[in-house]
Amino acid sequence: MRRVPHLAFWISLFVALFLQLVMLPDSIANVRPLWIPLVLAFWALQEPRVPVLLASFLFGIMLDVLFDSVLGQHALACVLSTYIVIKLRGLFILFPLWQSTVALLPVWVIYAFLMFWIDGVAKHQADVWLRWVPVASTTMFWPLVYVVLESHLRRRHRSQE
Amino acid sequence: MNTLSVDHRDPLFPRGPGLGLRAVALLAICGALIYFDFRTPKLEGVRQTLSWALSPVLWVAALPQAFGDASDYLTSRDQLAEENHQLRDRQLQLEAKLQKFEALEAENRRIRELLASSKNLNESVLIAEIIAANQDPYRHQITLNKGARDRVYRGQALLDATGVMGQIVQVNPTTAVALLITDPDHGIPVEINRTGLQTIALGVGDGQALRLPFLPGNADIRQGDLLVSSALGGRFPAGYPVAQVYEIKHNPGEHFAEALAYPTAKLNQGRQALLVWSEDHSNDDESLVTLPDATAAPAPVPAPAVVPTKDANPAASAAPTAPVRKP
Repeated sequence: MRRVPHLAFWISLFVALFLQLVMLPDSIANVRPLWIPLVLAFWALQEPRVPVLLASFLFGIMLDVLFDSVLGQHALACVLSTYIVIKLRGLFILFPLWQSTVALLPVWVIYAFLMFWIDGVAKHQADVWLRWVPVASTTMFWPLVYVVLESHLRRRHRSQE
Repeated sequence: MNTLSVDHRDPLFPRGPGLGLRAVALLAICGALIYFDFRTPKLEGVRQTLSWALSPVLWVAALPQAFGDASDYLTSRDQLAEENHQLRDRQLQLEAKLQKFEALEAENRRIRELLASSKNLNESVLIAEIIAANQDPYRHQITLNKGARDRVYRGQALLDATGVMGQIVQVNPTTAVALLITDPDHGIPVEINRTGLQTIALGVGDGQALRLPFLPGNADIRQGDLLVSSALGGRFPAGYPVAQVYEIKHNPGEHFAEALAYPTAKLNQGRQALLVWSEDHSNDDESLVTLPDATAAPAPVPAPAVVPTKDANPAASAAPTAPVRKP
């Protein structure tokens, strides 16, 4: 039985939080991918033994505080998107990488929609169209995140055997 | 991707509540949080504690930028940089004082006609460094390195050398968060400098423009008009430049004309901002307030234009009948 990679799990999430917060020039700030949901989706798919649902709640709350949005907004979207990925894991796990890239697209759409919807309920009007750009960039970054984290996991497993 | 091994499967006899139940419980917590945070201010304390606890994360996220600054610092001589810094602060303060004159000139002309007494425009300022900007492109907020310890208060106005930047929305012990005037949640009372017409400027949310949605159809407003802050509402000190009109739209069938304006403050450039203490907050501490001479002032003073905010001392609205604190 392989050990559960708890340390890698939490470190990867904090790296994602860092990437989410690091300052970007204004021109590309709108295109920043949704790093936290990306990394959460990877762990939900690849390693069901880590507490990914709880982590998505905690990191969602952190995002809420750091972005000063309504408390629970990012948490709700993170938990829901993670839950969907865990539920459909049996399906996703059979796909090759490029198919899973496309198959995860609805998850990012749901995430972006929840952001948009809760902002609407909280009377925070924002630009409607630019809001959906991260869906595309997140989709493009999925293969990268997957390959990097997967290679780490594989190396770890090899060293344990 | 299909590297699913045996031990990756769910255990045969899972312990604890099931996945669906856990997800529903967490979603319910999130829903309750959203409801309470939106409806009541009860969660403000929780948010402040969390934001204090997460300040190391912000610090780490600001490191790449800090490294860029550090290399810049090492190449120049320390003393020179220090002196430069002080001079720049000084210049910022002077520029902020200077920018009032354009507005004062127009105001003076109008007030002369009305023969009203002019109000004291002496405000104290403090320079704050901008230490972070909210990285959500739809929330225009910045974090400053001055907080409750420097007597920063909620609702305090924030300026830079060229105009009004925004106002403080959250005060932590050593930092404060300011909402910029371009945020879609922000509205600022303004007056058109040329005519004195009062209106409200709302943020558009694209980070660049302000919107004046409530102009009467026949309002005298032109391209290039300067909008200055008005003291209505009591949040902002009057007379600082806010924005310059660049487009006026008359929508057929609408009751109101709409104008668009660019803020004069450089909102996403620069490192410093000025915090302004207007008169009615300057006596929150024990400093003595100079009140006008009761014999020289006209007997019935009209209600002051500045509405005192809730934590302001009523004596600050400078009514001659108000008790004067002894030194």
